[in-house]
Amino acid sequence: MYLNDEQKQMLAGEKGEPAQVAMEILNALGNIYGAEKLIPVKSAHCAGLSLKSHGIAGMEWAEDMVRKGAKVVVPTTMNVVGVDRSRDLGLPADWVEHQMRIEKAYEDMGCYGTSSCVPYYYGFLPRFGEHIAWAESSAVVFTNSVIGARDNREGGPSAWASGITGYTPLHGLHLDENRTGDILFKVTANINSIADYGALGNYVGKMVGEKIPVFENLGNPSLEELVYFGSALASAGGVALFHAIGLTPEASDLNAVFKGKTYETIELGQKELEQGYQNLTSGKGKDVDYVALGCPHFTLNQIKEVADLLEGKRIKDGVTLWVHTNIPIKQMAEEFGYRKIIEDAGGVLTQDLCTILGNPEALGVTTLATNSPKMAFYAPGSNGLDVWYGDANKCIQTALTGRWEN
Amino acid sequence: MVKTVKARVISKGVGEGEALVCKQPIGFNFGVEVDTGTINEYHHELEGISFKDKVLIFPHGKGSTGGSYVVYQVAKAATAPAAIINLNTETIIAVGAIMGGIPVVDHMEENPYDIIQNGDYVKVDAIEGIVTITKKGAQ
Repeated sequence: MYLNDEQKQMLAGEKGEPAQVAMEILNALGNIYGAEKLIPVKSAHCAGLSLKSHGIAGMEWAEDMVRKGAKVVVPTTMNVVGVDRSRDLGLPADWVEHQMRIEKAYEDMGCYGTSSCVPYYYGFLPRFGEHIAWAESSAVVFTNSVIGARDNREGGPSAWASGITGYTPLHGLHLDENRTGDILFKVTANINSIADYGALGNYVGKMVGEKIPVFENLGNPSLEELVYFGSALASAGGVALFHAIGLTPEASDLNAVFKGKTYETIELGQKELEQGYQNLTSGKGKDVDYVALGCPHFTLNQIKEVADLLEGKRIKDGVTLWVHTNIPIKQMAEEFGYRKIIEDAGGVLTQDLCTILGNPEALGVTTLATNSPKMAFYAPGSNGLDVWYGDANKCIQTALTGRWEN
Repeated sequence: MVKTVKARVISKGVGEGEALVCKQPIGFNFGVEVDTGTINEYHHELEGISFKDKVLIFPHGKGSTGGSYVVYQVAKAATAPAAIINLNTETIIAVGAIMGGIPVVDHMEENPYDIIQNGDYVKVDAIEGIVTITKKGAQ
């Protein structure tokens, strides 16, 4: 891979050890993927900041990079983590301490001080065609597909390396020729809710792996529905880009996405939608002791929906309700009174925390109800929880009664 | 018999030790016990075997990208391989090895499975891109 003088200096260690490590990572990846050169990125999003991913060794590595002067050179955001720094949620003390040290290290490198999977909701919104280096699979699929930015499915360290150097190797989805569709899905199922979008995304993600699915007749989704749909595609499979005819910016018609390529066509009816729901359900007993919403992190609109459902009510004793978002959106919810309504009802509006990367199992909960197709996919393995999956309304009714009712 | 073969440098450094040859991909996340460097994936070809201080030969990594941090963790725990030879290194192994300073090469000019057996003594010079193989019993 071609390197310019500045990049060669970084690789030789002339710009400090962190820039050298970062350039070694990018140079190796560029060579592996046959990239011709590095290109500048406008922003980076570091994932894998949870203690579950970093471990103690990763925490010490990040702190070592800080001591050696690591600083990001483009706007760089931090992905969601396993603690809420603003309050004691009863999680183990050493867990909280180590997780907070990881967050502090990345902040010390110049990353923005809220940890969230949805930076595009609070100001870090790429434009169409912009090259970025983001990790966090749900954010990768959203920025690529819904915005039309150019992003590969980065891992945590490679996104960090792009934040430190300002570059990424030119390969994969940065190149137009790799953004054409692979399979056409014609939706005939009735898609009526965000939970339907999540279930459908799960079904397709599981089927296509890392291919690029194209959808026809995907309905009239809201922004939140597109985010949850994408997060399901990216967790059940490895989808980094989808197109929806007439909805997403590179998909004005079939010719625009397939560019003459031959492709298979698959119908998505009620049966396939129902299979998606079944894939996301691992619940056995109907008694639920944990309800978690907001994966990906909730918007103000989604928080208001929950507050409206909870106003003047009280969740059942013995049920824990966590609603996940980030600092900026939590502050807005505070300002508008939504947080008070949720917490007066016995729930908690968390900041920067995520159930999958957190440790709610340490609180002794066993059965989860969630509106998140991503959390429902990961929680059985990551948290050892049985899961019921449905929309926010159903989850809130479950929090009020302690029972999942069909 | 001593043989030298050129290879592509992925992660810089020099390491040497006894060869441990594995035909299957290795997933580091949820597949390795960090304290001992032992593969613990159920039914894996190397299940129950430690790669600590060996020159580990395997085709490529697999599984979750969180595996990079596990590669890094074995380096810090001093249970890492002395060096790694892959057929095709992918992102997970490359990134973790660079962070942890484990020498890695791939794309050897001769297929490593044809010329390296368990117990051969192998030196990986992942600066110059040279693998030196001393056949077992020839030292």
